[in-house]
Amino acid sequence: MKTVSGDLEKTKDALKKLLPADDILSFDFRSGSGMRFCVLFADPITDKDLLGEQVIRALKSYAGAPKAEEVSAALTSPETKTEKSLDALAREVLIGNPVLLFSGMDGAVIVGTKKIFPRAVTEPPTDVALKGPREGFIEDFKVNTSLVRRRLKTGELRMETTEVGRRSNTVVVVCYLAGTARQEVVEEVKQKLKDIDIDVIPDSSYLTHFLSSRPYSLVKQVGTTEKPDIFCAKLAEGRVGLIVDGSPIALTVPYLLVEDFQSSEDYFVPSYRATFTRLLRLLALIVAIYLPAFYVAAQLFRLQLFPIKLLLTIAGSIRDIPFSPSLEMLLVLLVLEVLNEASIRMPKYVGMALSVVGALVLGETAVSAGFVSTPAIIMIAFSGIGLYAVPNLIEQTSVVRLVMLLVAGSVGTYGIILATAFMLLYLVTTENFQTPLLAPFSPVVGKDLRDSLIKYNLGSLKTRPKTLHSPNKRRLA
Amino acid sequence: MNIKKFSRTLPMKLWLLLLGVVLFSFFSNDFGLVDIQKTAIILAAGVDKTEDGFSVTAQIAVPKGSDRTTGGTSSVEIEAEGETVSDCVSLIFAKTGWVPKFVFCNLIVVGEEAAKSDMIGALNYFLRNDYMSDSCLLAVCEGKAGALLSSTSAIDDTSSLAIEKLFSNAAVNSGKVVPNSLKDFAISYYGVSESGYLPYVRASEQEGGQNDHAPTSAGAGTNAGGERDEPQKVYIAEETALFSKGKMVGLLPREQTLAFSLLTGKVSTGTFGAEDAGKPVTLTVVKNGGGVSLDLKDGPTAKLALSVTVRLCCRSITAPVEDIVSDSVPSPILKSAKAVLEEYAETLFSMCREAQCDLFQFKRMLYARSRKDYAAWKDSLLLALRPEIEAKVVSMK
Amino acid sequence: MNRISKRQLLFFLACVAPVGKLALLPARLADKAGGDLLFPALLQFLLQAGAIFCVLLLAKRGMSFFELLKNTFGKVAACVLITVYALFLLFAALLPLLEQKLLVQTVFYDTLPSLVAFSPFFLFAVYLVSKPLASFGRMWDILAPLAAFGLAGILVLSVGSADFSALAPVGAAGGKGFFEGTMSAFAWFCDAALLLPLLGKFRYEKGLAWKGTLAYLGGGAAVLFFYAVFYGIFREIAPAQLFAFTATSKYFSGVSTLGRIDYLFIFALSLVMSFWAALPLQEAADCVLEAYGRPRGLPTLLGVGLSALYFVLSVVLDFRFTEALDVITGELVWIFPVFCLLVPLLLLLTRRRRREH
Repeated sequence: MKTVSGDLEKTKDALKKLLPADDILSFDFRSGSGMRFCVLFADPITDKDLLGEQVIRALKSYAGAPKAEEVSAALTSPETKTEKSLDALAREVLIGNPVLLFSGMDGAVIVGTKKIFPRAVTEPPTDVALKGPREGFIEDFKVNTSLVRRRLKTGELRMETTEVGRRSNTVVVVCYLAGTARQEVVEEVKQKLKDIDIDVIPDSSYLTHFLSSRPYSLVKQVGTTEKPDIFCAKLAEGRVGLIVDGSPIALTVPYLLVEDFQSSEDYFVPSYRATFTRLLRLLALIVAIYLPAFYVAAQLFRLQLFPIKLLLTIAGSIRDIPFSPSLEMLLVLLVLEVLNEASIRMPKYVGMALSVVGALVLGETAVSAGFVSTPAIIMIAFSGIGLYAVPNLIEQTSVVRLVMLLVAGSVGTYGIILATAFMLLYLVTTENFQTPLLAPFSPVVGKDLRDSLIKYNLGSLKTRPKTLHSPNKRRLA
Repeated sequence: MNIKKFSRTLPMKLWLLLLGVVLFSFFSNDFGLVDIQKTAIILAAGVDKTEDGFSVTAQIAVPKGSDRTTGGTSSVEIEAEGETVSDCVSLIFAKTGWVPKFVFCNLIVVGEEAAKSDMIGALNYFLRNDYMSDSCLLAVCEGKAGALLSSTSAIDDTSSLAIEKLFSNAAVNSGKVVPNSLKDFAISYYGVSESGYLPYVRASEQEGGQNDHAPTSAGAGTNAGGERDEPQKVYIAEETALFSKGKMVGLLPREQTLAFSLLTGKVSTGTFGAEDAGKPVTLTVVKNGGGVSLDLKDGPTAKLALSVTVRLCCRSITAPVEDIVSDSVPSPILKSAKAVLEEYAETLFSMCREAQCDLFQFKRMLYARSRKDYAAWKDSLLLALRPEIEAKVVSMK
Repeated sequence: MNRISKRQLLFFLACVAPVGKLALLPARLADKAGGDLLFPALLQFLLQAGAIFCVLLLAKRGMSFFELLKNTFGKVAACVLITVYALFLLFAALLPLLEQKLLVQTVFYDTLPSLVAFSPFFLFAVYLVSKPLASFGRMWDILAPLAAFGLAGILVLSVGSADFSALAPVGAAGGKGFFEGTMSAFAWFCDAALLLPLLGKFRYEKGLAWKGTLAYLGGGAAVLFFYAVFYGIFREIAPAQLFAFTATSKYFSGVSTLGRIDYLFIFALSLVMSFWAALPLQEAADCVLEAYGRPRGLPTLLGVGLSALYFVLSVVLDFRFTEALDVITGELVWIFPVFCLLVPLLLLLTRRRRREH
């Protein structure tokens, strides 16, 4: 490991060699006593005003010894540290923290004057709540940690910072409540982060791959949220959270499937209402996944699934359709997925127009032209709406819906039942961070059912979820 | 080959293979299965006896196109003859190219001749068919069942739907009709009593009706708006066919059908006539209880008990205006009503005995009570039975 | 995931095990014993309950089935015995498998489908066999409420159509009917035999033997009630109603207006049944793997092998189901009481060898 030497020029040259980019600048100056200093910094991401104010001006009158400790004490910056390793110094420069070198030094001083361009804290678009807090995480991890800290004013809140990514050196903050989070989980998270060997981590979603026990699985195994209130609530239940610099989406582990059927709003409305909406979400999801499949299976293999009058209506509608019922449904589903994808990516004003084109022009014209039947459109519309009742699972459920449709078109209702059996078996055997994905339903954890698909009053939720094995069991005195 | 790498990537390869198989089967989609577009949705079937075997008339629903502007169900009747019912169904497939599916068949009508000669032969195919519901209604009709289904109904586009209306819960509550299902008929046939009943449907011409009500959406030859010159028909099922050992052995007229309904205690809106000082009067049944039991104490005795609560529905004699708003039925009328009902029940019992039809399942009752007595009486029970009939008629307060 | 909890075991005995008796068995019993079908079934439940009690007592020893055999007879004999037992499980798997196949062909399609329609079951079996047997415990947490929901739903829709007087007179079938019914029902009552390979995968807790037996009898009571409803609806034509649980609820009055809402319950039970049908296969594989080792990939390979074997068998027996059923429940039916009743009892009576230190 290369370290700094007392020779300023030599050290500067060594660092320049490590950081040959044009935007890495150096500024040389002398103190009143004639001692030579040099500041090395990354131009676009360093706050030069702060640098001038807290470093250069403060050292103009420096007359102390060339010791890193003393120089550091002479600065007016609250965020300094000393470092000898050249690699570490180069890394700090790249983060935006200038490095202060001086003649005869025993170590360089790193100054925390990174330039921050934070976006305003706004309501996250994917997690809108009618009632409850509206703040959302942003890309800057410091702002995000401050949002968390503001809600959990306790010394037990631990935020351990680490860097992941050989080139990106992305800051990842592991947050947990000491004494509440299960220590094994905390250690496993840290170990998994340590084991990551990748060059760049541009977003927190990259980390989910490394944190999952089945990385290639379709099933989500790491919780995500954009809202600090949800994040804090999860930490309070005994989970471990990860805030990744550059990403507005924080991660939480262990993840339970039932989490995505809950919304922050459930805790701000009466429990009967929360229970009703959670069950409604489940029903909507089931409809979304199974409706197109059963519709196709019934037409192909088991007409009796329809009441006779509905069957005759459907039979009348599809009489002149050129495709088989399964192909027709697949086409409509694919069109819906394309529309969905396009309307998300398009600018808002174009997106509006696109939905009109999709809904009115395509749908109406396709029906009147005899390409697709009205019932098929209705089924897909129901299914599409149902999918959005659980927005955090859209990526997974839309694939499952497609699989179910393919299976239904191939072997009918029995195929759907077997595919469901497959899915259930897969889900019950999935665990991450020693926690079963389907808990508290499989394995059944009686007390945890109180805040699962049903929700008891807050007064009844006296203990933390047993599934998470928190050492601090009691939540409500 | 690197075995380690192969075994690591094997699951992924297997999943891809599975996906390939699913996609192939999805797009080829041909395991000899029959989808909705290749299916004849049979709404009703009529079975008749022919010289060589049977004739089956299938009433097939014809879906209206997506531009449908009117309601109703169109249908077409296809007839085929063969040695067995199964042969006939196969012939229907051959004639139409549509695979006949009975999953929605809710009515089987058997022609009178077939009912009298070989009812079980006519129904055997349906009883064995795993792909049809045995909860479908069963009826016997006057003449040919095929002709009945092919007739133009005055009240519905499809004759079978018009006939099914006769067997609604409201009709059952009126006591005018006693519907039966394929399953219940089979149970009564295969049971120890070997007797059963079915509603008997007659079609009669609608006075002045000439097919001007029906929508004109379907093509000629169908029952929905086809400009047929046939007279419109209305259907009536107030009579009940009696069966013994799988053959039709008698026909109960409407009065005895009512008595049968009253004895089962299901009537809540029916009417019947009595006398009021020599003039006809109509009474409405508002409550009914009934029961049939068997007593062996002093020789086999059939106890037929029925009780009805009635109110006046129509009266011919001159009476003050208060009489109209009064629900109370004078006792002479109640007496007359009692006599009428007892007579209906007695006639019903004797008709069944004559026809050797164990309509009330006395043998079953005996079998359930004592196997010894059953063994002793099973062949002579119907003839030996002495009826004890008791009708209780009370006025609505 | 490596252990089955007490609750999961009770769920299995109370809710999952009874499901296997809802398809062909009621019609079979009605055929042999008529309105007395409840008595052979009751006797079978009692016999099985006794055997289950024995198995649960064996769990006290804290050993797996193979360890138990090894401890009693030595390793070589244990290997031989467990192979024989695995062969029995494969034999016992035949009936639920054929039952499942026939059920699929009749209930899930409007016309007789080709064999291809049933073949996905074998893919499912491969996947199931590749999973550890103890993972079934968590599956039972899901399957038990599903089974209870399905059976309760079907009973609610059916009970109104039943005439329980059809069950009279008691004893009409006579001793012969009772005996024949009991004998042929043996093929469906393998619950204790299915419990043996689970030994060592759950921990014995105080009172588990009683609780397990009572849970099983509770499930049995629900099945008997279903049989009563079934016979009350179909009476003399009950022997012709092959898939009892799919047949009883269609007479519910709401079906005519809402369509076949009862399919919801039928599908729920069918889902449970597909796991039930594959369980003996998985247990047979587990027995073999425990005795001869579990190298990586072997469970999947074994799953592929067993599924392929059963696929071939289902092709061969495609139109010989009745003959196969007659052989299994006739000439070969003695195999079932030997393995399901005698083996647990004998194992309980065998003395434990002292472990050599």
